[in-house]
Amino acid sequence: MGMNHAGPGAPPSGSSWVRVAVAWTLVGLPLLWGVFNTVKKAMALFR
Amino acid sequence: MAGLLSRERIIAPPGFNRWLVPPAALAIHLCIGQAYAFSVFKIPLSRAVGITQSVPGDWKFTELQWIFSLAIVWLGLSAAIAGRWLERAGPRKGGVVAAFCWGSGFAIAALGVHLHTLWLLYLGYGFIGGWGLGLGYISPVSTLIKWFPDRRGMATGMAIMGFGGGALIAAPLSDLLMKHFASATDVGVWQTFLTMGAIYFVAMMCGAFGYRLPPPDWRPVGWTPPTQRHALVTTKHVHVDEAIKTPQFYLLWMVLCMNVSAGIGVIEQASPMIQEIFKGAVSASAAAGFVGLLSLFNIGGRIFWASLSDYIRRKPTYMIFFTLASVLYATIPLAGRIGSVPLFVACALIILTMYGGGFATIPAYIADIFGTQFVGAIHGRILTAWSIAGVLGPVLVNYIREYQVGNGVPKADAYNVTMYVMVGLLVVGFFCNLAVRPVAERHYMTDAQLDAERRLISELKR
Repeated sequence: MGMNHAGPGAPPSGSSWVRVAVAWTLVGLPLLWGVFNTVKKAMALFR
Repeated sequence: MAGLLSRERIIAPPGFNRWLVPPAALAIHLCIGQAYAFSVFKIPLSRAVGITQSVPGDWKFTELQWIFSLAIVWLGLSAAIAGRWLERAGPRKGGVVAAFCWGSGFAIAALGVHLHTLWLLYLGYGFIGGWGLGLGYISPVSTLIKWFPDRRGMATGMAIMGFGGGALIAAPLSDLLMKHFASATDVGVWQTFLTMGAIYFVAMMCGAFGYRLPPPDWRPVGWTPPTQRHALVTTKHVHVDEAIKTPQFYLLWMVLCMNVSAGIGVIEQASPMIQEIFKGAVSASAAAGFVGLLSLFNIGGRIFWASLSDYIRRKPTYMIFFTLASVLYATIPLAGRIGSVPLFVACALIILTMYGGGFATIPAYIADIFGTQFVGAIHGRILTAWSIAGVLGPVLVNYIREYQVGNGVPKADAYNVTMYVMVGLLVVGFFCNLAVRPVAERHYMTDAQLDAERRLISELKR
């Protein structure tokens, strides 16, 4: 099955994957920062 | 501006990559998910006058509690009220309105803190912000389901995961900002509200402008709708006003309400619960770490269970939730009796994955049962279950505990009855889920009704 293609018969252009990577990085970085802070706090449970 | 926001402006061109839509949805959900971290403001707000300690004239916790409660109640109500409008207006318009509500809600709340006027906080964060929460929450659901007909659960799970993740960002960010703005005469909350409101407004506008709708009859290349139809996955559509006349609507409402009530009670009471059950063995900082872990598993459960539901289907997914969570809740008193912190923590963490999974899987369940035409609007109405559960879960946990302690039960054992009550809620949810059947034929829209609805949408976009 095709991973992700829009428009009947029009698979996404190669450059669109760069935009996908940028968009995911923009939302992923703050989320990772939040996860990192939470894991750091959660370590107290195992000390 | 109106043209920029209309549905026709956001129909994706050929070659558009559908994987750009989930980050747009995540941008909005990560912002509104801040609501789960509102408690970080409770202590500073309770010292807004006294600064270092509460003094007469400072707000009480009981007064501050209403800010969050109002926001959650209005999340459910606004999603129910505006869901149908959003289906017609499109996700971008919905996202932009949500950004204005959420951003301005913070600004009004900031003014309330600055003037020390509590009703401005209720109005800003609770009411206007609550509308931002509701509109923002449901804005991407219908769009994602249309872009990912092959993986409905995963797609909505990714967005709804963001709502859980928002608190993980907001809690340390709020802490940093309050430390930055605090002075000898100010706790730094109003400046933090203003800053966060501005950040969230920009991020949500970016998300809203990132939304694209698939062209009519679009489907992923290489994917064909399964030829062997499953009875609980319809290709037809039920109108939102007709959906509320079906038993399926109320069964799904109960399924969500019972699942959320059981989980939210644990979240709300997690820190004191682990400290009281394992008195002396778990410190306050370890309990805070436990709460953090609960958040992580809540988020992980959203993407894990929603994605899994694409393979094992929605009804069995909820069957697992209700069965497994019942067993785990019933095990918690045993963990307390034998003094096993790891067993207690493991049970609570797995329960929390299913709490998050319940939220994330429900939009796909609704789409399966009622079709995709009004999935956002129906989801909006079913979210009122969250408003009820938000009150029911904590009230049950707190009041039963109080009653037990008042009757001389040791604090370590005071949660046992609560756990069995939670099992009872889950059993009710199990039977509601078991009773879900395909919608009766008479409730589906005819082709003529569907055409009329689609014509109405195209007229509105002009």
